[in-house]
Amino acid sequence: MNKLFTLRCLVLATTLLAAGAQAADPIKIGIAGPLTGGSSPMGISMRDGAKLATAEINKAGGILGRQLQLVERDDEAKNERGVQIAQELINKEHVVATLGYANTGVALASTRFYEEAKIPVIDNIATGSAVTKQFLPPEYPDNYVFRNSAYDGIQAQMIVEEAVGRRKFSKVAILSDSTNYGQLGREDLEKALAAKGVKAVAVEKFNIKDVDMTAQLLKAKEAGAQVILTYAIGPELAQVANGMKKLGWKVPMIGSWTLSMANFIDNAGSESEGARMPETFIQEPNTPKRKTFIEAYLKAYNPPAGRIPSPVSAAQGYDSVYLIAMAIKQAGSTEGPKVRAALESLNEKIDGVVTVYDHPFTHDNHEAITANIPVIGEVKGGHVVYAYEEERKNPLRLEKH
Amino acid sequence: MAILLQLLLSGAALGMIYAVIAFGYQSTFATSGTLNFGQGEALMLGALVGLTLAGNVAGGPYLNYWLMLPPVLLFGALQGVVVERIGVRPAIQSKSEFGWIMSTIALGIIFRNVAENVWGHDDLPFPSPLPTEPLHLFGASVLPMELLVAAGAVVMMVAVELFNRRSIYGKAVVATSTDRDAAGLMGINTSLVITFSYALSSMTAAFAGVLIAPVTLTGASMGTALGLKAFAVAIIGGLNSGLGVVVGGVLLGVTEKLTGYYVSTGYQDVPGLILLLLVLSVKPSGLFGKTIIKKV
Repeated sequence: MNKLFTLRCLVLATTLLAAGAQAADPIKIGIAGPLTGGSSPMGISMRDGAKLATAEINKAGGILGRQLQLVERDDEAKNERGVQIAQELINKEHVVATLGYANTGVALASTRFYEEAKIPVIDNIATGSAVTKQFLPPEYPDNYVFRNSAYDGIQAQMIVEEAVGRRKFSKVAILSDSTNYGQLGREDLEKALAAKGVKAVAVEKFNIKDVDMTAQLLKAKEAGAQVILTYAIGPELAQVANGMKKLGWKVPMIGSWTLSMANFIDNAGSESEGARMPETFIQEPNTPKRKTFIEAYLKAYNPPAGRIPSPVSAAQGYDSVYLIAMAIKQAGSTEGPKVRAALESLNEKIDGVVTVYDHPFTHDNHEAITANIPVIGEVKGGHVVYAYEEERKNPLRLEKH
Repeated sequence: MAILLQLLLSGAALGMIYAVIAFGYQSTFATSGTLNFGQGEALMLGALVGLTLAGNVAGGPYLNYWLMLPPVLLFGALQGVVVERIGVRPAIQSKSEFGWIMSTIALGIIFRNVAENVWGHDDLPFPSPLPTEPLHLFGASVLPMELLVAAGAVVMMVAVELFNRRSIYGKAVVATSTDRDAAGLMGINTSLVITFSYALSSMTAAFAGVLIAPVTLTGASMGTALGLKAFAVAIIGGLNSGLGVVVGGVLLGVTEKLTGYYVSTGYQDVPGLILLLLVLSVKPSGLFGKTIIKKV
C-alpha cells in the first residue's frame, strides 16, 4: 500500500464523516414545562407525549432528512426559571422552536424572548387567555406565540354553560387560587357569568399550599351557593373537596380542566367523585388515533393504575410536536420566520389525538382549539370519563374558526 | 354563632399544626442560641418516611400508623444529629455569628431535593389512622385527626417538660441553656447537649410531620410554607416558652380564619404578619418569652 493511497483513503473517510455529521445534525426543539412541584403531572405528561411523537417522526425518517431532538428543561412553574430557560434554549441550544408551558405566568414571562428572537413557540398546556395576545399588530407585525390548548375564555364559558345552562344552578360561588392562573381564570368566569346575567354569590381565593379552606367554604355556604366553580391546581382543589366534607356540606364542583389532574383525584379520594371539567381529551380509545396513542403511552411509561397523570397534557404535547414538525417540513427550512409563516398556513391536514387539525392557525388566529372541541369530563371511580354519552359517541370534533 | 365557633375551631386546629412545628425551633435555641431553618424539611422527611412505612408508596404498608412512630422518631433524631454535626457545630466552634443560618438553610434545600428524587414531586395522600368522618360539636365540625394533632402537641410538650425537670439529662439541658460556659465548667459535655437538642428538635419535627400529614398533604414541598408560618409562631410566642408556641399558634390560626371570613380571604395572611411586627416592636422576646439581658 503506498502512501498516496493511504492519504486518499483518509481524505475520503473524512469527507464521508463530515457528510454523515451534517445529515445527522438534528433539529433541536425546546421543551419547557414544570417537571417538579404541584404542576408536574402536566409537565411530565406533556414531555412524555412529546417524546412519543418525536420517536414516531424520527422512526419514519425525521423531517427534512434530519432527526428531531428534544431539549427538555424544568421551569419549576416559576416565572424567573422560565425566563432563564427561554434565554438558554434560544442563545445556547439554538432551538428551532419551543413547545411547552403549563403555567400561564411562566408563559407570559418567557414568550417575549421568542418573539424578539423570531422563533415560534407553541404553548401546549397553559390556558391564560392573554398568552397568545401579547404581541399583536400594529406594534408587532408578526406574533410568534401559538397555542393548542383550550384557553380560559373557552373553558370559562363551558364551565358556566355546564353549571348555569345545563344544570340550572342559579347561585354559584367562585373559588380560585391567587396565582396568575387562578385570578385570570376568575376574571373569565365572572365575564362568562355576566353574559348569562348571573353574579356569583361568593368570590373567594386561597394561596398555593394553604391547608385549610374553612373560611372560603363557609362564605360560599352562608351565601347559599349551590355549586362551586374552581380555578386552581390539584393539591389545593383537593383541600377544597376535603374541606367540604369536613363542614358536612356537599355541592358539586365544576371547574377548569385541572380537576382532572391525578393529584386532585388521589388527594381528594372519594370526595373527587362527580367533579366536572372541560377536557380536550379523555383517556378513552374512541378514535383509532386515540387508541394507538393511549396504547403507546401506557406501553412506554407504564403509569400507575394505567392512568396517564394528565391525559390532556399528554395529548396536547404529542400533537404540538406534529404541528411544529409539519410546519418545518412545509417551510423546507428551520428559519423562525419561515416556520411561523408555515404554521399560519399549514396545507396538510394533521390527524392528531385531540382533533384533526385543518388549517389550525392563520396570521391573526393563533388558537388551534375552538370552543366546540372540548367535552365535559367527570371524575368517576378515580378516573376521568365522559360526563355525557353523546359526547363520547361523537369523538371527532373539528375546529370551527 | 355556629359559624364563629367553626372558625374558632378550624383556626385553633390550624394553630396547633403551626405550634407542633414551632416547638422544634425552641429546643435548639434554648441550648445553643441557634435555629434549624430546615425545620420544615425535617418535618417533611419525617412525614415521607412515615408514609413509606405506613402507606402504599413503596409496596407497603409495612406497619400500622402507631407502630410506624418509633422508627420515624429515630430517623428524625438521626437527621437532627446530621444537621448539627455538618451545619451547626463548625459554625459554633468558629464563633461564627451567622454561619449556621446559611448552612441550615442549605441543608434544608439539599434534603428537599433528595426527597424530590426519592419520593417524586407530587403531593400524596397520607392514610388517616382515625375515621375521616367529621365530629359535630354545637353545629361546628372538626376532624378526629385535628383533635389528635392538638393532643399530640400537648403530649409532646409535657413530655419534654417532664424530661427537662425530672431527669438528670434534662437538667444538663436546662443548665446548658441557662449558662453554657458555667455548665461546661461543672463538667457537663455541652457540645453533646447541643447535639442532643438538635436530635430532639428534628425528632419533634418528624413527629409533627406524621401527625399533620393526614390533615395536610404529604410531599417534598409540604414543609416550606408551614415551616415559615411556624417560625412566625415561635417568634410571636417567644423562643423559650412552650406555652408561648401553643398560644402563638392558636392566635395566628384563629386570626387567619377570622380575617378570611369577616374581611376577605385575599387578606387572610396579613393580620398574622402585622401581629408578628407588633410583637417584635413591643415585646421582641415574644408574648411569653423571657428577656435575656446580655452583659457586655
